Amino acid sequence: MKLKHVWIVFKKEVKDIARDKRTLITNLFIPIILMPLLFALMGGGMEKMEEDIENITIALTAQSDTDEIHSLLENEIFAGYPNIKLNGSVEDPVEAVRQGEARFVLEVESNYADLLEQGKTYAITVHYDQSDTKSAGSLGILAQAIEDYSRKQVEKRLAAMNIDLEILRPVEIVHVNTADEKKSGNIMIMMMLPMLAAVLIAVGGIPAATDLVAGEKERGTFEPLLTTQAGRMSILFGKYLTVTLFAFVSVISQLIGITIGSTISPSFFTMANPGGEAGFFMPVGALLLSILTVIALGMVFAAIQLAISTIARSFKEAQTYLSFLIFIAMVPSYATMMMQPDDLQLYMFFVPLLNAIASLKMSLGGVINYTYLTIGLGTSLVYVILSLMLAAWMFNREKFLFRN
Amino acid sequence: MKLSKQFRELTAVNEVSFRVNKGEIFGLLGENGAGKTTTLRMLATMLQPTSGTAALAGFDLVTQPEQVRSCIGILFGGESGLYDRLTAEENIAYFGRLNNMREKQLRERIRELTHIFNMGEYICRKAGKLSKGMKQKVAFARSIVHNPDIMLFDEPTTGLDVSAIRNVHEFIMDCKSQGKTIILSSHTMSEVEKLCDRIGFIHKGRLVAQGSIEELQEQHQGKALEDIFVELAGENK
Repeated sequence: MKLKHVWIVFKKEVKDIARDKRTLITNLFIPIILMPLLFALMGGGMEKMEEDIENITIALTAQSDTDEIHSLLENEIFAGYPNIKLNGSVEDPVEAVRQGEARFVLEVESNYADLLEQGKTYAITVHYDQSDTKSAGSLGILAQAIEDYSRKQVEKRLAAMNIDLEILRPVEIVHVNTADEKKSGNIMIMMMLPMLAAVLIAVGGIPAATDLVAGEKERGTFEPLLTTQAGRMSILFGKYLTVTLFAFVSVISQLIGITIGSTISPSFFTMANPGGEAGFFMPVGALLLSILTVIALGMVFAAIQLAISTIARSFKEAQTYLSFLIFIAMVPSYATMMMQPDDLQLYMFFVPLLNAIASLKMSLGGVINYTYLTIGLGTSLVYVILSLMLAAWMFNREKFLFRN
Repeated sequence: MKLSKQFRELTAVNEVSFRVNKGEIFGLLGENGAGKTTTLRMLATMLQPTSGTAALAGFDLVTQPEQVRSCIGILFGGESGLYDRLTAEENIAYFGRLNNMREKQLRERIRELTHIFNMGEYICRKAGKLSKGMKQKVAFARSIVHNPDIMLFDEPTTGLDVSAIRNVHEFIMDCKSQGKTIILSSHTMSEVEKLCDRIGFIHKGRLVAQGSIEELQEQHQGKALEDIFVELAGENK
């Protein structure tokens, strides 16, 4: 292998691909435009949903639509809830909820005042639709309001009987959230970023890998190339560097898109913890080890993609084979998506692909174990060597190179 | 040289031996699948012979493949095989650089080839925008950019129209006039008769006869080349 030839092949391939508008649009521009758009839509949608859930408009049944019940609801039960508003009455509460005319329809027993006076229980029936996300989401707020009112009535009754309220509450739960406010905002990033990184790296190099071997075979440029003085390993490495470069160009453009998206719509990353801050809070050492592991993963994928492209007879065949790589990347990515850094096991840092996901998750989660991270990087480097050996072996096999 | 190539059960080339003198055009004539392309691929060091070897310009193709590649140029039939997104000049330069040409030498050679093939009008245009005829000339220039002593033509006129075929024939004769040694594979009798000094009949991987057209006709009672081929193919069924 001669470095001069590797460099010539690399320069030519980069120039060639950089002139391909389709690759540039797919790898560079679409992620930068699409990601912010996706975030804006998802973030905006979520904000709208939260707003809708908080703003509750309820209707009453025709029997309950009296001044007395209006006063009960507005001045007592929902007094501390300015977002809950009454809006007219309906004849058929079930139909009204089903048709979306009202999110809730309330029915208060007509003799509620007498029952309250007698120290008995009266019912407030809430008609709602469990299959409607907003209705189900708002029910908690509504129930809380009624629960607060109910508690106040209990307090009044106990006070009238000279009984201390504490008697009903032998134990009190005191909640102390020890999570760093910033770290809580990191949960979404910890869930999403390792998954995105693995899938994007698996996808990023595919257009280049397809074009550089299978594409060349189909266009008839491959055989003349093999008759030049550049050895096969020089040609392979020039192409390998190109695929690796474009895989990272794709990932970087996706990350730029994500950064722009999270700036436009920060609520996307903090939705797991409303009010939390989105951001990366990694120690430098962990950050470095994780980045190196992810780079190694990109190099492994580039070598495998070239090996697959070498086997393929045509551009289409290569695309079909290479698309399976996306599923291979998706399985561990989704399987570990909800996993917390504490759940990561040692074996995960030995398994290809999983080791990069686990390293990133660990670093982003802030529960750093440098031994595990170093193992992750070490095993990744071993896989880089093995995948390169596989690609080189295939590139030297006549039965793969000249299958057609 | 007894060059052989085995693909699993199939013997694609079976102990083929021939000699081509400097400045001569040697035609490998045979049906589709006879072993012509496999022989040329072995001579171009793209395929490793299962047994036997050959010397090209004094270099052994098994032990000195890089040196062999330095003195051969190859032209395949069908599509011209250019990089559409590179200009004609960049296509030629890429192969010149991979054949270890220095930048200055390469610039001069491209200028010379541009003049020879009259490519001045489109040398800076992307190959994808060129007509078939223009592409063909770029492919010719690319194959001889490093000025090889030996040219290999693998069914170079396959799928071409009449004028393109004429261009290929002129190019081959130009190469001959420059003293290059040429090996041409073809299944077209008239092409071989027109261009070649000597012919080798290849059938089912075996070289069943070789010699000049006159020698072959003399050995076969003055029959036409086509009849000789049919006769030889019949004998070697």
